[in-house]
Amino acid sequence: MAYNFDWSVLWRQPYGMWLLQGLWLTIKIGLLAWIIALSLGIVIGTLRVTPWKPLRFFASAYTELFRNVPFLVQLFFWYYAGPMLLGDRLGHALNQIIGLNYYVAIFALGIYTASRVAEHMRAGFASIGREQYQAVLSTGMTQYQMYRYVIIPYALRIILPPLTTEFLTIFKNSSIAMTIGVAELTFMSYRIDAETFHGLEATTGAMFIYLLLGLTVVRIMGFIESRFKIPGMIGR
Amino acid sequence: MKKLFAIFVSVALVFAFAAAPVFAGGTLEKIEKTGKIKIGFREGSIPFAYVDPKVGKHVGFSVDMAKLLAENLSKRFGKKIEIVPYTVTPKTRIPMVVNGTIDIEMGSTTYTQKREDVADFSMIFFFSETTFLVAKDSGIKTLQDLNGKKVGAARGTTNLRAVEKLAKEGKFKPKAIIVTETHPQGMLALKTGKIDAYSTDRSLLEGLRMKDDHPEKWMTVPFAIAYEPYAYIVRENDSDFRDFVNNTIIWAIKTGKFFELYEKWMGPKGVVPIPMSQAYKSYLEMMVYPISDGWWKK
Repeated sequence: MAYNFDWSVLWRQPYGMWLLQGLWLTIKIGLLAWIIALSLGIVIGTLRVTPWKPLRFFASAYTELFRNVPFLVQLFFWYYAGPMLLGDRLGHALNQIIGLNYYVAIFALGIYTASRVAEHMRAGFASIGREQYQAVLSTGMTQYQMYRYVIIPYALRIILPPLTTEFLTIFKNSSIAMTIGVAELTFMSYRIDAETFHGLEATTGAMFIYLLLGLTVVRIMGFIESRFKIPGMIGR
Repeated sequence: MKKLFAIFVSVALVFAFAAAPVFAGGTLEKIEKTGKIKIGFREGSIPFAYVDPKVGKHVGFSVDMAKLLAENLSKRFGKKIEIVPYTVTPKTRIPMVVNGTIDIEMGSTTYTQKREDVADFSMIFFFSETTFLVAKDSGIKTLQDLNGKKVGAARGTTNLRAVEKLAKEGKFKPKAIIVTETHPQGMLALKTGKIDAYSTDRSLLEGLRMKDDHPEKWMTVPFAIAYEPYAYIVRENDSDFRDFVNNTIIWAIKTGKFFELYEKWMGPKGVVPIPMSQAYKSYLEMMVYPISDGWWKK
């Protein structure tokens, strides 16, 4: 077997530009999906512990539905079946949107990761002692105020380390968007492979870019953790 | 520092796996030793190589050719040579041959000079052309009718490259080029209205159309944008094995088995009727070089 390594496919034009374009799309998908995941995840996670049963039921159903179905299946469902669920007219209009696969990827990744964030939130709530809740309520705060001003900020600071993992995972999961034709980093490395047959180099290049991206995220989250950790709770 | 070390270790691990054992020796010797030939088939290249849901196995014209190849190999080595089927995609078919996972890919791969750089090809056994599948009531008849429409093609195919090239050169102006993973997904995108036209080889498009619940709703357009000669992929610089594959094709043409298989898959009563053009028939007849009985012997 003779395989000639040609690492120049990583910077030679147009391939180098492809990788950068792919990286940019990966970052955009990851960040936008993370905004959805974090905000929706906090809400769903909180609903799971509120005293109102219908809301609790809805939140558990959401979490179990999205975390028990493989992400790839969810992505295919939203992309191919999603628009059809909305009826002929609306579905047809949706299918006309240019870049629909990109929006679907962000949406699907966001709501999928939200279910995971929600579970971390629940763990965060559980780790706060019962007496804390009682103390807050005894000051005269309403349920809403209690969660908004005390419990949620408290829980978020406790679960920062697992949230870092989720934030990292969202960038890695964004590579699955390739299967519906989103030209993100993995897609571009495969495209270089198809054009040049130097897939080994292209994939290795993509691997290092993901690694750098991940390490950057870890750095940023490490900074946030050190700023917001509750002394004595994490990072002893 | 600690982190740097961790990175080095992970990189070292990757290369340890990448440096998988490289086998030496020719493909024929390997087949004789193991009694098996590893063949890559596609899952949705109708009628050449696809998975029949009824039997859950690969079937098709090229799959039957693979059986002839295995038969001849059995005759050469005087023992039964078994086919080990692997499923390949447009993306994996060449790397899998190059890295030795499979010995040959038998499907519907277009012979291109670019691909010839990394792998070898058997002789050309079929001709197709890149064109589009559209809804019959869409009114798309010429390339210019596709201006402002959404066009799809599968990743890593010559068809996608042809569509992208035409769009880049300004020969037509599609609204968007949507990339799918497989041909059945392309058909799904077409049916759900995500794209207005799906592009691949005419023979494969006819296959997708025939497998649809309403074949009469779709049609391939009357023009073509690229020419696609099919051949089988074998490893670079292994002429003994390549000769054996070529001899099998020539032998099949000479004995008429090739035409029987053509009739079975692409004849009027076949899975995808594709009339054999006079030019194609002449090509096959003229390609046949004198081949003696018992050519498979060592």
